[in-house]
Amino acid sequence: MLNLLDYRLDNGLRVVLNEDHSAPLVAINIWYHVGSKNEPLGRTGFAHLFEHMLFSGSEHVGNNEHFRHVQSVGGVLNGTTFFDRTNYYETMPSNYLALALWLESDRMGFFLPALTQEKLDIQREVVKEERRQRYDNVPYGTAFERLLHLAYDPDYSYHWPTIGSMEDLGNASLDDIRDFFRTWYRPDNATLTIVGDFNPDEAKQLVAQYFGDIAAGGSFPPFTLQRKPLGGERRETFASTIQLPRVYRLYHLPKMGTPEWIHADLLTTVLGGDKASRLEKALVFDKQIATDVAAYVLPTEATGMLMLQATAQEGVDIADVEATIDEELARIASGSITADELTRAMNRAEMEYAHQLENYDTRADLLGMMSTYFNDPSLIDRWLDAYRAATADDLANVVRKFLVPENRVTSLFVPEAA
Amino acid sequence: MTVLDRNIAPQPGPPRPYHFPHIERRTLANGLRVLIAENHNAPLVSLRVLVHAGADHDTKELAGLASLTSDLLDEGAGERDAIQLAEEIGLIGAALGTGADWDASYISLDVLSRNVEAAIAICADVARRPLFPADGLERARTERLMELIQQRDEAAAIAAKRFSHLIYGEGAYGNTIGGNPESVARIAGEDVVAYYRDHYRPNNISIVVGGDIDTSRALALIEAAFGDWQPSDERERPVVAPLTQEPSRIYLIDRPTAVQSEIRIGHIGVPRATEDYFPLSVMNALLGGVFNSRINMNLREVHGYTYGARSTFVFRRQPGPFVVSAPVRNEVTRESVMEVLAELRRIRTGDVEERELDDVKNYLMGVFPATVQSSSDVAGRLLDMELYGLPVEYFDRYRESIAAVGKEAVERVAKKYIDPERVIIVIVGNASQIREPLGTLGLPIHELDIEGKPIA
Repeated sequence: MLNLLDYRLDNGLRVVLNEDHSAPLVAINIWYHVGSKNEPLGRTGFAHLFEHMLFSGSEHVGNNEHFRHVQSVGGVLNGTTFFDRTNYYETMPSNYLALALWLESDRMGFFLPALTQEKLDIQREVVKEERRQRYDNVPYGTAFERLLHLAYDPDYSYHWPTIGSMEDLGNASLDDIRDFFRTWYRPDNATLTIVGDFNPDEAKQLVAQYFGDIAAGGSFPPFTLQRKPLGGERRETFASTIQLPRVYRLYHLPKMGTPEWIHADLLTTVLGGDKASRLEKALVFDKQIATDVAAYVLPTEATGMLMLQATAQEGVDIADVEATIDEELARIASGSITADELTRAMNRAEMEYAHQLENYDTRADLLGMMSTYFNDPSLIDRWLDAYRAATADDLANVVRKFLVPENRVTSLFVPEAA
Repeated sequence: MTVLDRNIAPQPGPPRPYHFPHIERRTLANGLRVLIAENHNAPLVSLRVLVHAGADHDTKELAGLASLTSDLLDEGAGERDAIQLAEEIGLIGAALGTGADWDASYISLDVLSRNVEAAIAICADVARRPLFPADGLERARTERLMELIQQRDEAAAIAAKRFSHLIYGEGAYGNTIGGNPESVARIAGEDVVAYYRDHYRPNNISIVVGGDIDTSRALALIEAAFGDWQPSDERERPVVAPLTQEPSRIYLIDRPTAVQSEIRIGHIGVPRATEDYFPLSVMNALLGGVFNSRINMNLREVHGYTYGARSTFVFRRQPGPFVVSAPVRNEVTRESVMEVLAELRRIRTGDVEERELDDVKNYLMGVFPATVQSSSDVAGRLLDMELYGLPVEYFDRYRESIAAVGKEAVERVAKKYIDPERVIIVIVGNASQIREPLGTLGLPIHELDIEGKPIA
């Protein structure tokens, strides 16, 4: 059991402390419960652009000084954005806890006075370069975006990826940034997690000192997401500058943390975890019609997704790859998962989870996630219980119920004709 | 309670002591070296087998041999075929990796600590008794060829290959680790067996154990699993012979669909064992090694040309390259090259402020504990120690070595190891958009195809 302290300040900020003195380090991690799913249509990419802006200074911290303050004492830092949340974190030598809290509280409470058009213009260009580097200038780079477009209607805000569109990024104005900040960046929409080498009484006092006077916001805008049924498989073929065809599938699942999502997580290891896994063995090892296979679930809060992909070998019809995938899924549905396969999948989950708990920074991130999505940081002690309780039939049921054609979208990436 | 003044950054408390875990080093009777460091933060153990030979031994004709040999280690070993091996590893909650770098080949096995004994036995099979089945070679070869085909569309991979080749020519470090379609097609089963026999020898191997295990138990298990492996003769390491550095010039590789230019600028660097390692590390951190460095601040935060730009002295046993890399949008390719060259010239002038020097030194000194939290981090540090022959007190002396670097040393190593007038500039991008602006830089431009052949 982790030694946890879980409380709230009067302004609603949730604080989770995990004291651990095994290294002279402290990890600070803030999860804001806002992500790309909260972006209005026409403003895609906004939550992520905003994350960039939060590194460009606040009222008492100059432009680029945030990075400098952290790095110049040996800290490491970054931020990430996804559909449902945005987080900011640093790992510091433990005697610099107050510095990190000063920096994080300044951008939570005093960001707007430092905002300028010039900063926005620069970060907009940086984010556009990020999009080019990660999506537009690499083979298969837009696959995830294409799958989301197929899987969700435009009024469901998993329809677009976190990076957003070039056009919307170009349209972002200072007023948009201000509105976004006022709506979502507030103590009552955040969880502050601190893991590592600190004295809990001192940490509590520092947190109160730096965050206590930041005002809570008003009500949150009403927000509902209702996913419409697909009404049958949605499918596309997309020609681009690639050498080998690749099939991408997205299957809809219940949201993260439900028993079925956890069973699906285990199932992905049975499907594609290693050389002996079903799809890798069938496609890459035995038939040798594919060069690689991947299967994984996404950590999403509103609804779940299982991703499956395989690259055809040169000269192989991608339809043969799809047919083999479907044969293996049918075998699993008929109840062929062995006790050994289940054990291997559970061991994999246990090992990966142990890796996540090992470092302060990833542990702090898990605590932020457990608090934000499940309102319970202590779930970190019980997270694997549902994995251990799973049976082979539970995994087969995921295939029977969710990995069916009418519950999936498919994007076939094929080489452009020469 | 005193009133909080947010204008003033809070002062740090007294620093807490940090010590790298105790390192136990042994050499078995057969010459195999063992390094162990305990770390009980998680129920995990990281095992690493370091073979002191990598792609540096590959000939031009058989480029990719070291890497293909390491790929084949998991295609069956001891009593288990490839599938049985994967199953067994899954059943003990482990993950196996194999691979080759320029100077070394690796086997890595991370495992739940309750199963470490079984993991060491499997590790010994993989290292000592690989089966190298013929069908495994064909499978690995095909996979490799498919990877190489896919890299034809990866601008960063093309840029890296062309850059290395232009620095090192056909010799060691000049091929690519993965080889090329012709060389990979040529590799026969007997080549793999010969590479394995020549280099996978106990007296050419270091085994590293990091994590949740008692040192004495780890030693006993390693001794039992590897102690009776017979040593054999040393092989000589091929000498890296970089090409002569010529005046700066541009090599342009056209990728008509590109929306960014992948830029590489640099020349030959120095080996890891250089006596100037610490001043070089500080100088490079300041120049382009960290987020707040000059090159990244200039290209990203001042100009918005890139998502990220960096400079690196690639440290290897023999001189690795010095390289600045930046993906930038087509329209600012010329400007980005100019800004990078200007930063390379400026760092040589001694124009360094005390504050920026202190910032990077404090970063390098302070960040170390954050980079060695996990068992696999600890194992990685021990691997470096072995690969580059670092002294046992190295990590404990790291801070003072960085602290001793002054402004003069930064200027001296910049002048000595960076020559902006003799750089190779590789640009993979949309030639029709960037050729003309680049022409105004006054540097010769050579156009190459993606295999490096000149285009008339």
